[in-house]
This record gives sequence, structure tokens and C-alpha cells, in this order.
Amino acid sequence: MANIAAQRIKREFKEVIKSEEVAKCAIKVELVSDSYTELKGEIAGPPDTPYEGGNFVLEIKVPETYPFNPPKVRFLTKIWHPNISSVTGAICLDILKDQWAAAMTLRTVLLSLQALLSAAEPDDPQDAVVAKQYKDAPEMFRLTARHWTAAYAGGPYSNPDFDSKIRRLTDMGIESHDARVALSSFNWDLERATEQLFS
Amino acid sequence: MSSEECDSDMEYSDDDCCYADYYNTGDDCDIDHIDPSKIDPEFFIFECLSVEEVERLLNENVELLSSSLQITPSLAKVLLHNHGWAVQDLISKYRSDASLLLVQSRIKPPHPPSKTDGSSSHSSQSSLSSKDSLEDDENQKLCPVCVMLCSVDVFSSLACGHKFCKDCWTMHFEVQIIQGISTGMSCMAQQCNILAPEDFVLTLLNKPALRDKYQQFVFHDYVKSHPQLRFCPGPNCQVVIHAKELKAKRAVCTNCKTSFCFKCGMDYHAPTDCSTIKKWLTKCADDSETANYISAHTKDCPRCHICIEKNGGCNHMQCYSCKHEFCWMCLGDWKAHGSEYYECSRYKENPNIAHESVHAQAREALKKYLHYYERWENHSKSLKLEEQTLLTIKTRINQKVMNASGTWIDWQYLLDAAMLLAKCRYSLQYTYPYAYYMEPSSRKELFEYQQAQLEAEIENLSWKVERAETTDRGDLENQMDIAEKRRTTLLKDFLEV
Repeated sequence: MANIAAQRIKREFKEVIKSEEVAKCAIKVELVSDSYTELKGEIAGPPDTPYEGGNFVLEIKVPETYPFNPPKVRFLTKIWHPNISSVTGAICLDILKDQWAAAMTLRTVLLSLQALLSAAEPDDPQDAVVAKQYKDAPEMFRLTARHWTAAYAGGPYSNPDFDSKIRRLTDMGIESHDARVALSSFNWDLERATEQLFS
Repeated sequence: MSSEECDSDMEYSDDDCCYADYYNTGDDCDIDHIDPSKIDPEFFIFECLSVEEVERLLNENVELLSSSLQITPSLAKVLLHNHGWAVQDLISKYRSDASLLLVQSRIKPPHPPSKTDGSSSHSSQSSLSSKDSLEDDENQKLCPVCVMLCSVDVFSSLACGHKFCKDCWTMHFEVQIIQGISTGMSCMAQQCNILAPEDFVLTLLNKPALRDKYQQFVFHDYVKSHPQLRFCPGPNCQVVIHAKELKAKRAVCTNCKTSFCFKCGMDYHAPTDCSTIKKWLTKCADDSETANYISAHTKDCPRCHICIEKNGGCNHMQCYSCKHEFCWMCLGDWKAHGSEYYECSRYKENPNIAHESVHAQAREALKKYLHYYERWENHSKSLKLEEQTLLTIKTRINQKVMNASGTWIDWQYLLDAAMLLAKCRYSLQYTYPYAYYMEPSSRKELFEYQQAQLEAEIENLSWKVERAETTDRGDLENQMDIAEKRRTTLLKDFLEV
């Protein structure tokens, strides 16, 4: 079984490297170990989304039963998205669960994840806090997601207002990531975020 | 076995049968024509089947469908499983638009597969195979799953034409079966949901253990999709209950004696319906801590304040110390309960609640819930305590028969009384969730009136059963009749099926 898995991954690895998307710098894979059981993926934030200009690193673990079972994928880069956990990077996507088909490849998975960044599905959320903001305060969501892209994925858009609020909290001895999470969860309401952090 | 037979065991003692026979010998035609469901609101015909019997029943449907539509039994099974085993419905759908039916049932692809090459025709995404199709020659072909060149004869596909090698299909099925999937196994191509029928799976699956597992899972799925069949919910029980109508009625497994509602598989719950009882049980599970705190096991005698532990099912209490008679539920004087003013079961809503504060409303809601929960819980405890009474009765009867005071048959009526008591109290217990969810209305008043009547008669019966040896037999049998009549009247008026 493991033989098929290794054989497939070797082949797919070559496929991705040769693909036109790599040429356009949209997706990328790298080997982490020689055994082909662990890989590192990378996708570019799609244009016209809050993720534009960011590069998102993925952890890809290939199970023994691959390709009959889907690869285990999660975001290593912190990201603010309704279907991706802002804490663990776990992804809620049907093709990584029951809609997986053995004929799918790493390339299709990476492209699907990129598509997920352009079209979130807030009704099937992984992160309830983010999903609620996405539905109730879409502009706030957009700004927050763009801020996270800048903070963690090398995105170009900085937000002075958000940055100063984070600084207010870091001055009080809070880790900047914890400050960002608290502020993001409370729609950048400094008072409520502070209350939560110190309660 | 029908519930009719089952009930008759319970309600009539052997010596009654002689009379029954006597009256029925003349012309029993009249009796046959009366619809039993009119007389007994709980009447329900069902049978307990073994696995072999269920297989035979399912196969009859499969054969009927496959012969009338000229399709393989495996395809017939896929169709039946997806359409709740409605053979006639399927035949007419097939006759009107066979192609649509097959597409909807995930047997045929919505668009016919291309003639050239099944797998790589979908190459918009899977460039793995298309790029390598250069390596294909006359006799060899690349399997898109294992990316190995295999001889063309080892490839096979479902109706969608997506071709994969034999080893990959086998591995695919094995992985799925280990995860508990059977009837839901589909094609390996991306975005293709064509189902793999039984014959296709079984020709590729060669490990005997997995073949067994697959067949077991498939059988399980079939029974679950069949509206007339239900697995007995009893632990480790293999029996399947078969009933023509999917109704919320009592079914009793002949094998493990589990009694349950045929529709939802939970404990039988007349007169409450399936969704209400589910809501109620969830609510009770959530709120149980508060309720537990309030409904303690002991109460003080309302007159002399001695601590009393309830050790019998009857709610008509008599204090051992001061002989005061009172009701365990409301701690009121029992004398008032005997009359038609019996109102202990009824919850009196505060008429001005809409004008009260939110806090007061919340307190009122909790008070209302606790009223019903306490009664529900109390009758459930009484049922358990009365089980012990039944055991005591059995030993006493044994002793009496051994001491030659009467035969076993002579004392049979005591057992019947205890069984009837259990049956009535069970129904009474399940009237409380029903009442809790009823909107205040004249119908609710009628319901609570009947409930109160039933409760009063049940407590009378319980009192008499606990003191059976000093109670006159005629008196006891009279009480049994009254209690059962109250129970059926309530069910007739309020059991909706």
C-alpha cells in the first residue's frame, strides 16, 4: 500500500513542479522528508481577495492508504478565514473529507484550497468566530483578514489603526499574536479585547 | 406476533378465557368485522423476523423489480435502497423516464462517457493520465490512481466509463469497508458519484473477512432504508421488526423482550409523539442537575414532620408515625384527591405572567418545568418500586400455593393486577411531557382532567395492590377495570397516529 502512495506522490510531485501554476508562482510543493510522507505546500493568495499578495504555507501529510484516503492538510501560516481554524490551521473542505476521490492529486488539492480562499463557505465553518464576523460584519472581516495576511503571510497592506491598537496591548505585556486574536475576535474593540485578555 | 395476542396474555386470567370462549362460540362474525384499532388505540400489527427471514423478504422485492424491469439484481438493489424499497413506485418511475431515474439514483452518469478513453476524458483536472497517455500502447494503459502501466484487461469501470486497474479498485473498496462504508461506495474519479453495485464490488473483493463485513454492512443499510423494517434496539439483539405501517406504536421484541416505539426506536411514549418526547428527554438531560437537587428522595410528613422515605410505588401515603394520609406529590390531604377535585397533576399557570419581569418569567418557566419533571420522574421511580412489589407478590403466591391455600390459578389475578398497574403507570408517566408542551387551551384542560382521573385511579389501584391480601378480589378487579378504561379513554382522545 505504502508502495502505491510513494509512487503516486513522486509522480505528483513532478507534475506540480512542471505545472503552469508553478510557472505563475501560484502554487508550490517541497519535500520535507525523503520518504515522501510529508510535504510542504505553498499557495499564493488569490487576487481581489483580502489574501492577495500573501504566501500561505501548508503542511501536507500523506497517509499510508493514499490515494484511497485524502492527504492531511493544514495551514502553517496563520490565516483569518471562516473555513480555516485561526488557532490550529485545520481546514474544513469537503474534498479533504468525504468528497475525496482517489483520482484527485496534490495539484487539485492546492488549487481547491486557493479557490476556498476566494470563496469562503461561512455556513460550513471551521472557525465559528470568524464565520460570524464574515456574515455579520463583512467589511470588518475583510480588513481583519487583510491585516492577518500582512502580519503573517507577507501581504503588502498594513493598517495603522490596527497596528496601534495591538501596540497598546503589547505595551501592557500581551504577546502580539494574542493581542491580534483578541482584537480580531471583538471587531477591534480595544476595551472588550482588553477585558477578555485580563479576565 | 401481534400486540393483540400480547395484550391478552396480560389482561385476562386463564379462568376468564372459559367465559370468553363460551360467549364466542355462537357467532363471532360480528367481532371479526370490528376494526380493532377503533377499540384499542394502541393496536399494532408487527412481526419479529430473523436475519434469514429479512433477507428473504428483501430478495423478494429485488427479484420482483429486477424481473419486471429486466435489470440485474444488483442494480435493483441500488434502486430499492435509494427509494425506500417502494417497488411499484420504482416501476412506474422507470416506465415514465428510465434514464432520469438511473441518473438520479447514481447508476448512470448525467452525460454519456466519451467513447475514446474513459479516464482521461475527464482530464481537465487530472493531467496525470493525459500527459502520460503517450506511454500507453495497444496492450498497456496507465492507471490514473497507482500511475502504473497495466495490461488493458485488468481495467474495469462503472457505467460512467472511468477506468481503473483491478488492484486499485480492490484497494479502494477495502479502505472504504474498513471505514464502515458499503452501499455508499462510488467511482474513484474526481466529481463522479456513480455508485458501485454489489456484483461489481464482490467480483473485485477477495479477502473473505472483508467480503463478510461488506455483506453485513450492506444488509444493515438495507434494513435502515426500509420503512417497514427496524432493528430491535435491545443490546446485541439480531431481531428485525417488520410492520406494514410506520407508526409510533409499541413493538415488543419476542427475543429480548425490549419494548419500543416502532417509529423512532426509543422507549414507547404514548400519548406523547416522537418529536415531543425527544425534545423532552433532551431537556431533562440538560436540566437534570437542577431537577435532581429539587426532587429529593425523602420528604417530611406534612402533619408530624417525620422524615419519610418512599419505598413503594403508590403515591397515596400513610405516615407510619401519625397515620396521616397524604399525597406524595403535592403533600396535600389525600381525602381531597379521592374526589373529583383531584388536581395534583395539573399545573396552574400564573395568568399575569406576561406583565412580569424577565427574571420572574424565567423563574415561572423553571417552576413549570419542575412541576412536570417531578411528576415524570416520580412515576418513573414508582414504576421501578412496583417492580419490586411484583416480585414480592410472586414469592407470596408461591408460599401460599406451597401451603395449599389455593392453587396457582387462584392467585393469578394478583399478578395480572400488578402487570396492569405497570402498564397504566407507564402511560401516565408519558402523559407529562405531552402536557408540558401543550398550549393552554380547552383541549389542555380536558387532557389534564383525564390525566388527573387516570392518576387518581392508578393510585387507588396501587394502594390496593400493595395491600392485596386484605383487599377483596372483586374490589381489586373492579379497580383494574376502571384504571384501564381511564387509560384507553385518554389514549383514544389524544394519541395521534
